Amino acid sequence: MIEVIFLITIIVSIYMAWNIGANDAANSMATSYGSGALTLKQIIIIAGILEFSGAFFFGSRVTKTVGKGIVPIELLDPHIIAIGALAAIFSAGLWITIATYYHLPVSTSHSIVGAMLGFGLATVSEDLIPLEAIKWGVLNKIVMSWILSPLTGAILAFMIFSVIRITILSRMDVERVEQIFRYLQVFTACYVAFAHGSNDVANAVGPVSATFGFSETPSWILALGGLGIAIGIATWGYRVIETVGKRITELTPTRGFSAEFATATTVLSASYLGMPISTTHTLVGSVLGVGFAGGLASVDISVVKRIIYSWLLTIPVAAGLTISIYTVLVVFL
Amino acid sequence: MRFIRSIADVFGYSPFKAIHQHSEYIVLAADLLIDQYEAFLAGDEDKIVALEKEIDTLEHEADKIKGEIRTHVTKSLRLPVDRQDLLTFLTFQDEIINYIEHICHMFTYRKIENMEKIVEKKFRQLLYMINDIICKYEELIDHVMTLIATSFSKKEIADIMVMVNTIEHVEHECDKVQIELHKLLLNSKMDTLDIILLRNILIHLGEIANSTARASDSFRTMVVGR
Repeated sequence: MIEVIFLITIIVSIYMAWNIGANDAANSMATSYGSGALTLKQIIIIAGILEFSGAFFFGSRVTKTVGKGIVPIELLDPHIIAIGALAAIFSAGLWITIATYYHLPVSTSHSIVGAMLGFGLATVSEDLIPLEAIKWGVLNKIVMSWILSPLTGAILAFMIFSVIRITILSRMDVERVEQIFRYLQVFTACYVAFAHGSNDVANAVGPVSATFGFSETPSWILALGGLGIAIGIATWGYRVIETVGKRITELTPTRGFSAEFATATTVLSASYLGMPISTTHTLVGSVLGVGFAGGLASVDISVVKRIIYSWLLTIPVAAGLTISIYTVLVVFL
Repeated sequence: MRFIRSIADVFGYSPFKAIHQHSEYIVLAADLLIDQYEAFLAGDEDKIVALEKEIDTLEHEADKIKGEIRTHVTKSLRLPVDRQDLLTFLTFQDEIINYIEHICHMFTYRKIENMEKIVEKKFRQLLYMINDIICKYEELIDHVMTLIATSFSKKEIADIMVMVNTIEHVEHECDKVQIELHKLLLNSKMDTLDIILLRNILIHLGEIANSTARASDSFRTMVVGR
């Protein structure tokens, strides 16, 4: 029985990875398409390779946090963990699908963390573990990282663009500067894809890794997540890249470079610290940073409000869904 | 497209292209005003009315753009210039085309025969000067996209200062012609009602130049006072 649950969990994880590739990775890459730095085909190839590399080589820390850092799996038996992992990934996947349908700026990272919290709370309600056993300290850190990451992105992007503006844009011909940054943006596009893969793969494979207990997460799981993301970009993400890219042509290479560099640096640092943050929110923060530095004709800060609402909605919804699904599964399995 | 989450919403409405388009309507209207003056001198009533309609339509289109900008520039937008400065500037720019529209109606009020040649010539001169100031103004506004592309580089701002100074200079020249014309009109032997009409037109022509200078001045304030 546990093998079947595990297999289903893997399948849902791949769906989640696909979804992350189709939407989140695509949004990060759209900045390179909008500025005309790369063609759609080049982006799909670059993103596919580097998302996979990021996930495979640098994805284990965040995966560990999601899988083993929130729910005290050392206190639970493998059967319960298997059910909980399935409930968590299924809820997060379902919520992301619904949110995507309604164009809500929901984060996959927030969803999976909310879902894992729901799993933890479900086991508490079953008296399997005490409430204090849930790793609240880690959760606190994660929430802090959610607040700090868009801010860091904004501040970094503000500084990077200001430096470009003062030292280069004000002295050289704009068109030439943009031309040079078009090449540099190839580098930041790779950087973003790598960083994104390293952080977001956990949102897909974190729960699966929990089923392995405290032994190291096998690398084939990370590879599977990375592959799912790459396939997501190639099969659906390219449409998202086109749609989003066409709407953000204002992000010229200098602006795109600044936003991407700031985002990738923030996200990769979070990956290093094992914090599952939202790349999309960080990117929004970075674009706002460029806007505040006078780089864009107009940015709309009302988007911040909508992000905060989606945030506050995602945690209880993902947790609630997980508790419900877990309860049903426990009865039948 | 369903099933998409997008970061594009962070990019707000940009009013700058619309502002430039609005200024292009002013150029078109000012051009037509010269044609209308020639038709007025020739006594071609059909043409006068046709041009009145055209200018009126341009003014109406410009009004729509102004309205669009005012509705979309909400408080949640962060523009590279002060929002209030931008809206004030827009009001001044819109005044230019309003004055042009007032004049296009005036040419239909009354037929003037036997206009003194010197008056006729001076009016034409003033109209061409106004055309000139408006073309210079449109060039100034055209710089707004470069300003944004360079993120308000010092060189661009310096260029703008020069352009505003030129516009103010032309406005001053317009004033001089306006004074001469006033003297001519108020001492001419023409029909009193003709003089009243021409003086009204003259005052409004002066206002076109004045409001163009005011708009460029507030454009400068907007650019400098970021």
